[in-house]
Amino acid sequence: MEFRVLIFLCGLLVLNSCTKEVKIDIPGYEKQLVVDGSIREGEPPIVLLSTTQNIYAPTDISAYLASFVSDAVVTISDGTNTVTLSKVCTDNLPPGTEPYAEAIFGMSIQELQALPSPLCVYTSFDPSIFGQIGKTYTLTISHQGKTYTSATKIETPVGLDYLNWKPEANAPTLGNLYGFMTDNPNTSDNFMWEMKHIGDPFYSKPFGPFFNDQFFNGLAFEFTLYNPMSFNDSTYTESERGFFREGDTVVLRLSKLGKAEYQFFDKKYNQIFSSGSPFATPINIPSNIQGGALGVWAGFSAWSDTVICLP
Amino acid sequence: MKQQSPVSLRFYILFTVFTWFGTSLIFAQTKHTVSGYITTLSSGEALSSAKVYVPALNKGALSNSYGFYSLTLPAGIHEVEFRYSGCPTVRKTLDLSAQDVTMNIELGLKDGEKSFDEVVVNGKKGDNVNSTKMGQIELDIEQIKRLPAFMGEVDVIKTIQLLPGVSSVSEGGQGFYVRGGGPDQNLVLLDEGVVYNAAHLFGFFSVFNSDAVKSVNLIKGGMPANYGGRMSSVLEVNMNEGNKKRFGVKGGIGLISSRLTVEGPLKKDKGSFIISGRRTYIDVLAKAAISDTSPFAGSGYFFYDLNAKFNYQLGEKDRIFFSGYYGKDVFTFADREGGFSADMPWGNGIAAFRWNHLFSSKLFMNVTATFTDYKFKFGSKQDEFKIEFLSGIQDYSTKVDFSYYPNDRHRIKWGANHIYHVFTPSSVSAAQDSIVFNTGNAQKLYSHEEAIYLMDEFDANDRLRINAGLRYTAFQHVGSFTRYVKGDISKPDTTITYGKGDLIKFYHGLEPRISFRYLTGEHSSIKGGYAYNYQFVHLTSLSAVSLPTDIWYPTTDIAKPEKGFQASLGYFQNFFDDKLETSVEVYYKGMKNMVEFKEGALPGDNVNDNTDNLLVFGEGWAYGAEFFIKKATGKFTGWIGYTWAKTERRFPDINNGKIYPAKYDRRHDLSVVGMYQFNDQWTISSSFIYATGNTLTLPTSWYVQDQNLLFNYGARNSTRMAPYHRLDISATWYDKAYKTKTDPATGKEIEVKKKLRNNVAISIYNVYSRANPFFLFVDNDGDFLNGDFKLTVKQVSLFPIIPSVTWNFEF
Repeated sequence: MEFRVLIFLCGLLVLNSCTKEVKIDIPGYEKQLVVDGSIREGEPPIVLLSTTQNIYAPTDISAYLASFVSDAVVTISDGTNTVTLSKVCTDNLPPGTEPYAEAIFGMSIQELQALPSPLCVYTSFDPSIFGQIGKTYTLTISHQGKTYTSATKIETPVGLDYLNWKPEANAPTLGNLYGFMTDNPNTSDNFMWEMKHIGDPFYSKPFGPFFNDQFFNGLAFEFTLYNPMSFNDSTYTESERGFFREGDTVVLRLSKLGKAEYQFFDKKYNQIFSSGSPFATPINIPSNIQGGALGVWAGFSAWSDTVICLP
Repeated sequence: MKQQSPVSLRFYILFTVFTWFGTSLIFAQTKHTVSGYITTLSSGEALSSAKVYVPALNKGALSNSYGFYSLTLPAGIHEVEFRYSGCPTVRKTLDLSAQDVTMNIELGLKDGEKSFDEVVVNGKKGDNVNSTKMGQIELDIEQIKRLPAFMGEVDVIKTIQLLPGVSSVSEGGQGFYVRGGGPDQNLVLLDEGVVYNAAHLFGFFSVFNSDAVKSVNLIKGGMPANYGGRMSSVLEVNMNEGNKKRFGVKGGIGLISSRLTVEGPLKKDKGSFIISGRRTYIDVLAKAAISDTSPFAGSGYFFYDLNAKFNYQLGEKDRIFFSGYYGKDVFTFADREGGFSADMPWGNGIAAFRWNHLFSSKLFMNVTATFTDYKFKFGSKQDEFKIEFLSGIQDYSTKVDFSYYPNDRHRIKWGANHIYHVFTPSSVSAAQDSIVFNTGNAQKLYSHEEAIYLMDEFDANDRLRINAGLRYTAFQHVGSFTRYVKGDISKPDTTITYGKGDLIKFYHGLEPRISFRYLTGEHSSIKGGYAYNYQFVHLTSLSAVSLPTDIWYPTTDIAKPEKGFQASLGYFQNFFDDKLETSVEVYYKGMKNMVEFKEGALPGDNVNDNTDNLLVFGEGWAYGAEFFIKKATGKFTGWIGYTWAKTERRFPDINNGKIYPAKYDRRHDLSVVGMYQFNDQWTISSSFIYATGNTLTLPTSWYVQDQNLLFNYGARNSTRMAPYHRLDISATWYDKAYKTKTDPATGKEIEVKKKLRNNVAISIYNVYSRANPFFLFVDNDGDFLNGDFKLTVKQVSLFPIIPSVTWNFEF
């Protein structure tokens, strides 16, 4: 985090500089498969496939839709069961899955259904392949004569000792959440945290949702959590952003993930944060997919806690 | 290939030494030596590279950097000339019939005396053809002051970037690349103390205050054996010694900073001092712009530096010098509403003590002890969470150099040095309230670096001069030290701990150096050189531009010493009685064990790890041709330098092991510099630069993951930015330095120098406001669903046309 701040501060130097669009030759484009796959405890596997697009390729909606892949064969194995995933498309969603589709693609169901061509994910409603703690899930993708593989494990979840809301001294109706964690010194732990108001269908991710215990291995400590929902909620004023309001009921989900998966997400957020800065190194995000594809196949286990924001 | 055994090698060295000494003894029977110091008449400061010449014998010698010279001549009476650029030649008749003669000479004009000599630009007349120096340029600070200056700040490093074979790292950058070598391959010395970061304000200004600088000497090829530790070049910056004859004050007020220098005698003609300071007022201007109630109150930036030097002549044979430099940049940022604050100070401290001793008229010794301290700190606080990052280097160095002048044909040097390095490449601490996070131990690395050398510059005959040398260098990485041994992704890391002083790794090697000059005519010569170098310190950078966060890292058990060679060949021809100097040089440089960060490495990755675990190693090479034309004398002076070059790298773990261009690979580099002195009051100057654009790595494709747009980068440095070109001009107005006065003795009107002299320098940087590329990035804007999503490549340019004015004074 501190280095991101440093990069930001250095970036201030060029705030007043002149920026203009240029056309320049960027050689070396190669089309690659992109995997966006995940499996959670008690939930079906979801795999979204697409391809990389040339930096100068058209960026209209048709080009975006054309980047999705729907002619692959995708299988998941937990070592005992092997299931071929089905293609579920936005023009033929099973009843009750609309909110999931909205969350996966980031569009309302009306927008999805208005698309000129449907978007598809690979999944299975076979409960035998739903995520279970301690199991390793192997993903195999066959596409255009090539085979891509990956494996991910759903780790044992880790929780917090407590989660409290404390009001701000100068604005008592607003406050932060304070969590207390006792970290296991014998394990290397990687986390993602998300939040939602109770009743919301999906969680909101903060600016940097991934962290590991590199800095606090074996320590017990209290830390602050800000309100990630407030940044996309127009009812919050500028000065309220980041705080929880008195009376809010919120849910924290702390997910654990493996090291390779963490490296993907860590580098991904570094790229997002530093993109465009001359002070940052060009980061190619390391994939845990073998066979030449980009992206990630990640298993998550979750611990969650609900807190009512009262003093 | 037959290997030379160590025994036979030692024998060869001893034999050579004895041969030299024996030869000198034979000559000593029939010859005598004239020796002494050459200083300026006005201030008593030493003059280096002043020429002592006997026209009748066509024999001569040059003074060293302390002004000492020694010339052995046949017994007899000789007419000897003492010459220095811009100074009237002094002629002395010396009787060397029976004994050696000590002759201290003052050259130049008395303070107040008016010069009618024409302006002489850098270098010594004809020296470019005659000396064995190749790829070596000495710049005069007065000449540097006449060139256009960015924001009015006279800058020695920006001036050397105008020379062929030298490139800047980026727009306004201080880092420089010499003949395809990295910025860490340049040994930057301030009075023999190593400067690890020669830049202020992220590289836009140099740490060298022009008022405190006496001379600048750049060696970009054919490095003599008395220098080592870096592979590409040596930039020697020598500080003024201070006026031994009278007190004086000089200073300047510029657009962003002011300077003040005080100098004077400690004891007239025996010792002197100089103290010089400079500070920017960007923070003061920022404070005026940011109100106290602003959430960003408390944000700002400034830098300052302080130079001090004292010297004293203890007797006829001993002189001591003490030099000090301390400079710091301080960057602060505060966002009170966000509860965030950060500060980022960094800077160098250098102290050097030197002792000159004359054992005889032929043997000169210099002992140097230096201490260098470079620190970078970044601290930030977000509510109750604090984090601090530290990195730095401390060098404790001692060195002894002997110069022996056995006869007029040989100039022998030998010496030894030792450096104790303490590197802190990365130390991170973090805390939340009273909880201190585990960020690993502060990684300190300790090492010893030693070298001994022997070299002789000798005249094989009247045409052929050879400078041959051998340097033996050694390096020990010692404890205490913790080595992190990284397992694969599924295994925990382990550590190996070394105790204090434990030898972890030892490296050593020989560095042969040779250069020659062959006179093909009175005004032309062919020169060649070969130098092999080891380098035990590496600069590792994660960003596309130079930053103070770039980490210096020593050679360890994993990071091997960089080593490389440079071979060069050149033809030098002067025209019009040496008024016009021309040269063509070609070079090839090979480099091994070069260092880069692994692809995708991030600064935070070295927490609880060794930085060298994140490094990868490879090789590089560079070759090119440099063309140089210089007009050194007359009202109009200047030069044109053009370089054609190619610089490539190959790292097994970068770019899939394929060859890629270095980021500063530039095919064409042109600089044109001109100065014209209209009269005593007006001088104008101009410089023009054209360079092929730098390379960089840009994304070749994009993709979407979890609704985030991500980029996939292409081959390393496969994109080239637009060419860089820029025109700067400046005009300097000098107040009349002399006033008319009636001489009470003669009643005649005479001209005497004014006590207060001042000048105003007006510069225009980037006259035609060219938007030169600083860097490029891919920008995304809009939304897919709205149909206005757009990816564009954008170019950021830093400096448009920037006029500046500086007032300088002296009394």
